[in-house]
Amino acid sequence: MKRARTWSLVLFSSLAVLMMAACGGGSEDSAPVVSAAPAAPPAAAGNATVSGTVTLASGEDLDITIQMNADPVCAGLHEGDVQSETMVIDDEGNLANVFIYVKSGLSGSFPAPSQAAIISQKGCLYTPHVLGLQVGQTLKVVNQDPTLHNVHASPKENAEFNQAQPFQGMELERTFDSTEVMIPFKCDVHPWMSAYMAVLDHPFFAVSATDGSFSIEGLPAGTYTLEAWHEVLGTQSAEAIVEADGSIEVDFAFEAGA
Amino acid sequence: MPAPTPPEKKPDRHYDFRGTNIVFALCSLGLLAVTLLMVIMDYGRPWKRVQAEFRDLERQSIVRDLEQEQQAINEQQMATVLQEITAAEEGLEQRGSEVEAFEDSIAVLDKRVFESDKLMRARKTQIDAAKWQYDIALQDGGERSIASAREKIDTLTLEWQQYQRATEAYIEQREAEQDKLAEVLSTQTRGEGRLGDLNAALDGLNTRLSTVEKDLDYFMLNAPLMDFLAPSLKIEQVVLPGLFHDIQFAKIDRVDRCMTCHVASNRDGFDGEEWTNPYRSHPRLDLFVADASPHPYGRFGCTVCHAGLDRATDFSRAGHSPVDDEQRDAWIEKYNWESQPFLHTPILPLNMTEAGCIGCHADEVWTPQATVQDTGRQLINKLGCYGCHQIGLAAFEDLPKVGPDLTKVASKVDDAWAATWIEAPRKFRPTTWMPHFFFQVNIEGEVNQGRQRAEIEAIVDFLWSVSEEVEYAPAPAGDATRGEDLFYSIGCTGCHILDSEAERADFTDALHRLHGPNLAGLGSKVSRDWVYAWLRDPKSYRPDTAMPNLRLTDQEAADLSTFVVASRRPEFENLERAELDEGIRAELVATYLRQTMTIEQSEARVLAMSAEEQSVYLGERSITKYGCFGCHNIAGFADVKPIGVELTEEASKPLHLFDFGHLHDLPHTHRDWLRTKITTPRIFDQGKELVLNYSELAKMPNFGLSDAEAEAVLANLIGFRKESVLEDRKAGRGERGENLAAGRRIVTRFNCQGCHLIEEVGHAIRAALRDENNLPPNLAAEGVRTQADWLFSFLHDPSQVSLRPWLDVRMPTFQFSDEQANDLVAYFASIDEADPFASEPEAGSARSRAIGEEIFNMLQCAKCHPASADAIAASGGAVGELAPSLLLARERLRHEWVPHWIKDPQGFIPGTKMPTNFPTTSTGGFSSPLGMAINQATYAGEKRRMMRYFDSEEGLNTFLSDVDLVSAALRDHIWTMSN
Repeated sequence: MKRARTWSLVLFSSLAVLMMAACGGGSEDSAPVVSAAPAAPPAAAGNATVSGTVTLASGEDLDITIQMNADPVCAGLHEGDVQSETMVIDDEGNLANVFIYVKSGLSGSFPAPSQAAIISQKGCLYTPHVLGLQVGQTLKVVNQDPTLHNVHASPKENAEFNQAQPFQGMELERTFDSTEVMIPFKCDVHPWMSAYMAVLDHPFFAVSATDGSFSIEGLPAGTYTLEAWHEVLGTQSAEAIVEADGSIEVDFAFEAGA
Repeated sequence: MPAPTPPEKKPDRHYDFRGTNIVFALCSLGLLAVTLLMVIMDYGRPWKRVQAEFRDLERQSIVRDLEQEQQAINEQQMATVLQEITAAEEGLEQRGSEVEAFEDSIAVLDKRVFESDKLMRARKTQIDAAKWQYDIALQDGGERSIASAREKIDTLTLEWQQYQRATEAYIEQREAEQDKLAEVLSTQTRGEGRLGDLNAALDGLNTRLSTVEKDLDYFMLNAPLMDFLAPSLKIEQVVLPGLFHDIQFAKIDRVDRCMTCHVASNRDGFDGEEWTNPYRSHPRLDLFVADASPHPYGRFGCTVCHAGLDRATDFSRAGHSPVDDEQRDAWIEKYNWESQPFLHTPILPLNMTEAGCIGCHADEVWTPQATVQDTGRQLINKLGCYGCHQIGLAAFEDLPKVGPDLTKVASKVDDAWAATWIEAPRKFRPTTWMPHFFFQVNIEGEVNQGRQRAEIEAIVDFLWSVSEEVEYAPAPAGDATRGEDLFYSIGCTGCHILDSEAERADFTDALHRLHGPNLAGLGSKVSRDWVYAWLRDPKSYRPDTAMPNLRLTDQEAADLSTFVVASRRPEFENLERAELDEGIRAELVATYLRQTMTIEQSEARVLAMSAEEQSVYLGERSITKYGCFGCHNIAGFADVKPIGVELTEEASKPLHLFDFGHLHDLPHTHRDWLRTKITTPRIFDQGKELVLNYSELAKMPNFGLSDAEAEAVLANLIGFRKESVLEDRKAGRGERGENLAAGRRIVTRFNCQGCHLIEEVGHAIRAALRDENNLPPNLAAEGVRTQADWLFSFLHDPSQVSLRPWLDVRMPTFQFSDEQANDLVAYFASIDEADPFASEPEAGSARSRAIGEEIFNMLQCAKCHPASADAIAASGGAVGELAPSLLLARERLRHEWVPHWIKDPQGFIPGTKMPTNFPTTSTGGFSSPLGMAINQATYAGEKRRMMRYFDSEEGLNTFLSDVDLVSAALRDHIWTMSN
């Protein structure tokens, strides 16, 4: 009896094998496309320079004086008026605190520098008022004032944070995971305090100086879109074609009320 | 003589042997063929192909992962470990003799343990025997035999003990030797352990790979005729008690088989581009399908949300419904798809999936995160569908009428304006929710056009005939500029827009902003005197209005009314009443009269009526006909039943009960009929307009729904299905569910989310704010934050306390009833699952209070928070502009909540201005900087004073470094402050 069952199993199996052969053995191999994205290779170093000047056409006096009376400690740190850093223009109409960066056209990856970018709170103002850093680079925020500040960053792509610094000399360190132009910083204790920080995945950015000048160095040859950002005047774009070791000038002209 | 017929061969049987054989042969061949066919068809069932294909795809994916993993393994690390192992092995070789010696001695000891143990056991047996002999001797023998037996026992016991000791000693020795051996071998073992760690990921993948290989086992188990044993390709099903499938009045438990093909839906990681349906992971496994989610597959299955035929394992029969024609064509090509006309509940197309939530969540008023459905719910609320159609779901029951009160309409607007409005409301105000009743697509021919005109004019005449007359005192002079500032700062824009260009479709994602009417053109509709009176006290005009009282001063109301009536549309001013055909009106009146009179009587009656009487009579009948009272309070229509069909189970109504008219291009599905009905309600009269009696023409008005609006409404309508879930299996059961539902109804009614962020929805006003700092508070954590008594009295009268003096935006007075205020308090507590009635706050210890005061000063909390009346006075008002006064804390906040808030404000309310004083640590915790700071010279005074409460500096440092102790001490100090 047992023997009979074994035989029937063998029979079934061989039949099964035959059927399988007849049916082509199931579905055909359809390999899906491999979509593994390897990390971009490090970019080739370059030596080109883009420099220029940012100007603002405006007949008006745009200086705004900051009233620091709300916190006597802040007022005591300054002699005379303190001007807002929103519109910093010299007599020739050169505009400072404009952030200029390569918006597109780069390829490859750029390692983050190991040294930290620093924002100081000094005299109840953020110094610098505008800065850039790279993804993964450390930002260090220092309170140099003998009063309470809170560092309140409101990014959209990165994590928000709001940290009090009640003690002089206190430091806080952060890194950012995503690119973002710009992250506003404010101090809720001193509503006039603001700063803007850009997080990029490359080192090709600059902030215009008080004479409106800027310079982006070390660029590889290529065709780039540059963008100039200002906190109230908005953005402007320009195309830049640089050759290896070449240097070109790109100027940006903003208009008040535009 | 006829030729002799050859003798018939005499049959030896009564049947034809050969013929039977043929029949049998044919039958058995036929049966064989059928059997084979059955086997082939069974083997080729589509779901088997699906599972087999998934196995291939998964195998390929694992192989890819393996390759990547292999590349990723740090080669250096690997080399180091391998080197270690090699070195260890070399070392072992050198110490080979040592190892051998150990192994030898262990072997010797093994032997000894065994021998000694054997002897010990033998003695034990002998002792037992001797004891028995002793018993015998006691019974029968003399003294001598007793003594000798006794002696034998003693001797044996002694020997037994010796052997026992020896065994134990050998075991100990053996263990010592084993330890030594292990020590020698350990370097190698360690290396192998680390190698194992490095290879763990690879091993895991290899194990997975082995389960999806198509090896001999796989083919044997799934071979035709063999697959009855334990096939790996099999139907995957789950029985769902209490989730019913309604078949011809019988409720049977659902048996979902969807995962037979949707093989990976409960597994994470199948959501990359390379995975297409049915092989993808279900989206949001944190919410659905996964065991740890609130809707685990084992409890809820699939079809209770997605609908479709639960038991089907065939693509078409399951009831898959394409989203659009493109998908339909693709499915026909790929799956041979055909629609299932006899399946009442086909699978909801992907863009309608949220309709599936309603079955269980309807009692909760809204389903958090079901955004499309919620937009639809809000639309239904604003369009007032429930005014004509009963919808027996919590979100749509006992709601107030959506339109304005018409009992005093004659003292608010002009009659000619009203007629223009009724004719086409969107002409005057494109964003209005009021639909178009007149001159729709089914009104053809001059006579019907004339009838429409007569009805419009008659409705106005009737309303004016029953309207109360109210005189409004002239408003004091106001300033439009100040009014504009008020309009954009005190919070009007949480519910109103004032934009003549606005289209309703632009606000589908921001419906809170259309809670009240768009005020553009208001000056051409109402007088400033009316607006002024309305602003001062909205409830005096309409007692159940949702418009709150903003506690405006006379001057503010004057300014604001001046500003809003400055917006005008001159083409709607000084209008004349339209001409109408009196014959047509008389004929309409006669038609209505004829319902209760003879033809002759009705004609006589019409002749006896004056033109005005006719019009008023026709107006009353027209209001009944169109159901105006569903949305408006109209004198004399208080208890009239709504005119539309009930929609509670609309989507379960058998398809043949829907009249598709002559629209042959319209696909015959519930969805298509309903969509067509809500977007073009009169279209089903097409082709029949001139033969239908005027009263038979469809009456549903046109709401001018955009595509997005229609889809959102449909995402609810499609979910209005026959009850098919056991009560206990529904969401929102129990006290918390009831509290949530009651609160959400109030929140919807008064549009709290127009200003506040509640349950992560709202802050609609943000888009219209001119100053971001004026944003009303986020009410996250309100339930754990505030005390019930305080919240109750604040809701009753928000003016009693200026909580956030820096805000221009005002919390209005809604004149809530006690019941409403209680419902809201319980609602906020229920959101946070807090006890609505918190314990009495306790005073902290003197020590904690004193330390708290020092910390309070060190952290400079008073820089933003007013901490005493003097401080506010001294700063000239500068303090108090940044943060709430702490003098209110004890009365308002929950004692146990304050330290948590101090520790991590962002965790409760992202974006709050309140910073944390405690930097986050790398492990995600908080650290206190006070322990370090206290040793700075600046804080010598604080340190000295705090040291009174500590034995040592170390004790103080420990206290100050403990974030929980520090925040509790701050709270205890704050609790000492009061007005």
